[in-house]
Amino acid sequence: MKKTLGIALVLALAAPAVLAADAKIGAPAPAFTLTDIDGEARSLAEFAGKTVVLEWTNHECPFVVKHYDGKNLPRQQADAVGDGIVWLVVNSSAPGKQGHVSAEQARTIQADWNATQTAYLFDTDGTVGRAYGAKTTPHMYIIDADGVLRYNGAIDSIPSANIADIEKADQFVELALAELADGKQVSRPLTQPYGCSVKY
Amino acid sequence: MPFLIMLFAWLLPISVVLGEPPALRTDNLDSRLVAARTAVVPGQPLRIGLWLQHDPEWHTYWLNPGDSGLPTRVALELPPGFTAGPIQWPIPERLPAGPLVNFGYSDTIVLPLELTVPANIDAETVTIRARADWLICKIECIPGDGEYTLTLPVAHAAEPQPRWAEDFARAERRQPVPAAAPAAISFTDETVELRLPAQLGPAPTAAWTFFPATAQVVSNTAAPRWLETADGVALVLPKSDYFVGAPERFEFLLARGDTGLTFAAHAAAVPGADTAPAEVGAPGFLLALGLALVGGLILNLMPCVFPVLFLKAAGTIEAGGDRALLRRHGLIYTAGVVTSFLAIAALLLALRASGEALGWGFQLQAPAFVAALVLLFFVLAMNFAGLFEFGGGGLAGAGQRLVRGHGDRQAFFTGVLACLVASPCTAPFMGVALGVALLLPAPAALAIFAALGLGLALPILALGWVPGLARLLPRPGAWLETFRRVLAFPLLLTVAWLLWVYGEQTSVLAMSWLLAALVGVAFGLWLLHAGGGWRVLGYGTLVLCIALPLVRAPEVAAPAETGARALHETWTPERLAELRAAGHPVLVNMTAAWCITCLANERMALSSGAFREALESRGVQYLKGDWTRRDSSITSYLESFGRSGVPLYVLYPGPGREPIVLPQLLTVEIVQQALNNI
Repeated sequence: MKKTLGIALVLALAAPAVLAADAKIGAPAPAFTLTDIDGEARSLAEFAGKTVVLEWTNHECPFVVKHYDGKNLPRQQADAVGDGIVWLVVNSSAPGKQGHVSAEQARTIQADWNATQTAYLFDTDGTVGRAYGAKTTPHMYIIDADGVLRYNGAIDSIPSANIADIEKADQFVELALAELADGKQVSRPLTQPYGCSVKY
Repeated sequence: MPFLIMLFAWLLPISVVLGEPPALRTDNLDSRLVAARTAVVPGQPLRIGLWLQHDPEWHTYWLNPGDSGLPTRVALELPPGFTAGPIQWPIPERLPAGPLVNFGYSDTIVLPLELTVPANIDAETVTIRARADWLICKIECIPGDGEYTLTLPVAHAAEPQPRWAEDFARAERRQPVPAAAPAAISFTDETVELRLPAQLGPAPTAAWTFFPATAQVVSNTAAPRWLETADGVALVLPKSDYFVGAPERFEFLLARGDTGLTFAAHAAAVPGADTAPAEVGAPGFLLALGLALVGGLILNLMPCVFPVLFLKAAGTIEAGGDRALLRRHGLIYTAGVVTSFLAIAALLLALRASGEALGWGFQLQAPAFVAALVLLFFVLAMNFAGLFEFGGGGLAGAGQRLVRGHGDRQAFFTGVLACLVASPCTAPFMGVALGVALLLPAPAALAIFAALGLGLALPILALGWVPGLARLLPRPGAWLETFRRVLAFPLLLTVAWLLWVYGEQTSVLAMSWLLAALVGVAFGLWLLHAGGGWRVLGYGTLVLCIALPLVRAPEVAAPAETGARALHETWTPERLAELRAAGHPVLVNMTAAWCITCLANERMALSSGAFREALESRGVQYLKGDWTRRDSSITSYLESFGRSGVPLYVLYPGPGREPIVLPQLLTVEIVQQALNNI
């Protein structure tokens, strides 16, 4: 136990930041309040006591399209929400940039993809994306029930826009959620995210 | 629409025009498979390439795409006998996108590949097929792929293909060249430092652009901080947000205009050395093996192994002149030593593989381990002093039977003990051997650790095998019991020293608790003499006093600030760089409280008046790094000199001169001579 703590500590120290000024593995995740698809304010604090997954999205990004058309994200969302996990989709595209959508468009897009996220949040000015250091779409984070950041990185292990690669890849988020559910440390808490750049 | 175009391309007959394939149009990109020459000449290498013409403002990516994007990939289907090298990536461009940075290409480029061509080709034409995929981005990104066919005539001679000559020439011109020597890489909690080798043809300056070729090590966005140090140029970069551990090999490119230099850096590359550690070949390995054996042998003479040698000596004398028994126990003792060295080495390698910055002696950085040694030595000392003798069984007997007497098990565990207590000592030759070991693949590394163990066990082994040696041993008798009582005292001294180490790592309070536990252990051992219920109480006390310090070992505390003005300053990579940049000569001493060799050197050579005078008269700054607790920046500093443990003494004579590594056993003369040469 002490050893794994030690390793986690080393990893925490090894995660400095240029963009990710506040998001560090093993440290409390940056708090935020964003407006959801229904115009309501949603904050990270309201989900205290539950595991939270953050997914950065841009529906025009081929990498996001890969994981929705390939049924990977809808399946993971349904499984996670079924297990009582909170799944938040965050859109940081600035007005006029690719992926910037209205609430109505977002609703249609997610419905067409059979997405079952807990909430879809607009981060139009990019504040939350910058605080977390979100670089790509998709870019995934996991926050545990105590509000501590446990995972930061790619959705899976094969950087490509090819749907056929999904089943060959290690699904990092799914694996991390399983480890957390077993009370274990996340074995790969930091991976290099891949995809389109977030359109801040 | 793009789909239709691709379909059309697929349906095109294979060789419309020999050597002049039509361009494939996909989203925002024209692409082709092209050859630099008009024909294939048997036996002569052939340069082909993926030709990409991007629409304005669109780009594809380099081998490391940066914060987003994907590298372009080419898969070739070649005729029999042909082989292909990797893509020879020309110098890319740095492409900022908001807060992110990518590395890639725009306009028209060729990504060249070199083919080897067999000497005999039994055909008039040769057809090469390729499949490529890429990601093309402006702000938005579109993945693309294409299949290509290139058919060339086979001829005795070939001309440059005029149509692509300029594109190939540009790719050739922008081809970076490998630097003459590897760079050195070291890590702090937040940064990565790359030290460039000296004497590069074109010397890079801050005007050059930095490109990391290995991902997940340094930040893609930050421009490096260029430091002019006394012995060359160093680049300091923030770590990547996704840094999870020191890579085995880190590659990067420095470029200005069409000039580019590629560097490979290993964590333990010795600055200025012209062979990369990964290329440690058979001679390097054998040499390290030999050094480890000699180092292990000399380890027997180092102070930390003495108590165990006493133990072994007692057992050996009891065995009398029975050569067969001596041989048998010598072999078993050797097995014990080697097995424990291998176990510790395997643990060390596994922890390092999981990203921990550790080196030799790492086990003594854990207070729980030091406490365990304290308890073990104390129980042994109590036994030797005669506080208790072992009976037929039970706890006390078990502990004692393991290391005392002359059975097989005793021989084995004396070997284990020898390895445990040897860990705080570094003998000459050992540092180099272990430094090399940690760079080698696991089996070779384990072989070096095994050689070290074998060296340590060699003298005892020799007793049984060298004729006449055993006869030199004294005969057993009543004096042996007295001898054993005497041996209790060096053991207690070892306990005193280990307690000090423990106190340094934790606190006076924690050390006092451990002392109290020792008193409890002594009390418990004494109670074992009494009968009935008292024995039970004795066992209870023992279990409590041994288990508590191990289970509840405190965390390592931060070193206490010392107010007094010391001769030395605390070592930090920044302070060292600062002093060297200012042109001061610097002496660096890497030490640890648990390292007896270090302490001996400091007593003997590094605290005399003569030493102080020499420092002051030459204006040498003295920096001391304390590795008693874990410190990844010290670990990486040690590794930059190919070492994995302390002590390490490095003298930086001043501007323009290479650092000098002093021997691991210092004398006043050695130090003075080194200082006088500044």
